[in-house]
Amino acid sequence: MNKARSIKQNHPSDALPNFRNLGVTLRMLLLGNALALLAALLQANDGMDVLLRMMQIATMLTPVLLGSLVLLWLTQPVLNKLAYWQGVLAVNAQVALFTLLTCLFAGEFFRPDSAGYFDTVRCVLLSVAMSSLLLMYFRLRARVLSRSLEDARLQVLRARIRPHFLYNTINAVLGIVRAQPKLAETALEDMADLFRMAMSDPQDKAALRQEISICKQYIALEKLRMGERLHVDWQIQEMPEDALIPVLLLQPLLENAVYHGIEPLIEGGTIRVSLKRLGGELQIVVENPVPVADLPRTGNQIALQNIRERLALLFDIEASYQVTHGTDFYRVEITLPYAKEVTR
Amino acid sequence: MSQTPLKIFIVDDEAPARNRLRELLGDCGEQVVVSGEAANGWAALEKLAMTPVDVVLLDIRMPQMDGIELAQHLQKLNPPPAFIFTTAYDAYAIRAFELHAVDYLLKPIRLSRLSEALSRVRAAKPVAADVLHELQQEPRRNLSIHERGRIHLIPVEQVLFLRAEAKYITVRTVEREYLLEESLTSLEKEFAAHFVRIHRNCLVAKAAIEGFERVGSYEGEGSGWMVKLAGLPERLAISRRQQHIIRDFG
Repeated sequence: MNKARSIKQNHPSDALPNFRNLGVTLRMLLLGNALALLAALLQANDGMDVLLRMMQIATMLTPVLLGSLVLLWLTQPVLNKLAYWQGVLAVNAQVALFTLLTCLFAGEFFRPDSAGYFDTVRCVLLSVAMSSLLLMYFRLRARVLSRSLEDARLQVLRARIRPHFLYNTINAVLGIVRAQPKLAETALEDMADLFRMAMSDPQDKAALRQEISICKQYIALEKLRMGERLHVDWQIQEMPEDALIPVLLLQPLLENAVYHGIEPLIEGGTIRVSLKRLGGELQIVVENPVPVADLPRTGNQIALQNIRERLALLFDIEASYQVTHGTDFYRVEITLPYAKEVTR
Repeated sequence: MSQTPLKIFIVDDEAPARNRLRELLGDCGEQVVVSGEAANGWAALEKLAMTPVDVVLLDIRMPQMDGIELAQHLQKLNPPPAFIFTTAYDAYAIRAFELHAVDYLLKPIRLSRLSEALSRVRAAKPVAADVLHELQQEPRRNLSIHERGRIHLIPVEQVLFLRAEAKYITVRTVEREYLLEESLTSLEKEFAAHFVRIHRNCLVAKAAIEGFERVGSYEGEGSGWMVKLAGLPERLAISRRQQHIIRDFG
């Protein structure tokens, strides 16, 4: 299974967009109306005429578009199970059927001056054309974003195996192996787990408790080197353990906090990690102190950029990402839709 | 073989890393003796000023004061110790070390490399000051002043102005003045973010500038501008060529 996936790496499998995602819905509405505007522009004789024609088109387009969106929202779970080409057919069939029904039963209402059968056939054809265009757009968008995701995979890997972290940790393990062999064993095991996670697909999601446990292993490794200088305040009592989040979303944030926040401070400091559910959203906050004299650095942009792109691909506009750089602190705040782990 | 053992000092902010070096130095046999260790640059300077050593093993990436800055301060000790830098990963520094034949060890550190570097120490020439200066990637955080056998560290942000006088530079803080043996031009270059030149012989801290005053007739040269610095009663003259800074800061 894994092998098959790695061979297909350059051709990410196509999938229908998630019709229950707000971003997808908005994109469809916007693009649908943009196409209508284009049609109005083509037909119109003057400026005012554009508006008039646009309104004419909209009287028919809006109910069909909204209705189709509702229909797709309802059938999303079924569509999800189909192969891509079956899904495309199913979506087009639904849209065609819905348009046909609208024309037959409400055509009189929306288009009083319609020209009978010709008009009905034209509406159905246009709807199918529009839905195909939209599906093509989403396919293209997914491909573009997945390419950056593939790059991201490599970057994540490289960022995980950040030479600074790797060599320093090995050096630290060597430093304790004679005096505390048991501790050294645990450290090597933690390292293996962390690297196994880093090699996983960045599109994968895992339960929040798994991410937390990998993060705690990571912190244990850093503590080995930094001892009392590193503290982490885990505010996770209200955390929904079963929430699904993309793998290694939190860990790179912690690594940045350690590298840019704690390491440059002689006394060290405390990283505050807060995870909680706010209604239908999961909120992740990581805050760390930074040396006051330090100018904002640009060194940590790769990891953050990577997280941003993954969020855009996986959640579109439903995830948000915010950075606050104070004089003596640095805070990253991420909210993403709360989804529960499905027990298999 | 009957040489006195090399006295070695370890500076690294990570305890396991110091431990590793101690163990490896123990494996090196009777040629070496560990005379002390420190977790940061300040502690190292304090200890080394009291008990001189032959070799300092120092980590490059440390909080507040990195290894290269520390080496620059330690160089003012008499006699200066030999330096061997340690680093996990720093492509820039490694290239520079290779270029100037400065000794360094890559973490994780190997016994063979360590003893090799130590065996070279006795024959090696001390690292030149300008080489260390070149290795420095970021401006130093402190100026070090050698005064009656002691080394004073003055945090750069406490310095109000630097003025070249004869062969020394006067370093002025709110409390007092120090004499520094460096060139004003290289200081200007290194601390461009902190200081601005107001005169051929003077740099002032940008953060300390409180205001500018026009002086009617100043030493017969006609009118001129002076700058007032926070916490300092005296005014400093701005040369005609540098008057544009009044616009930049006014």
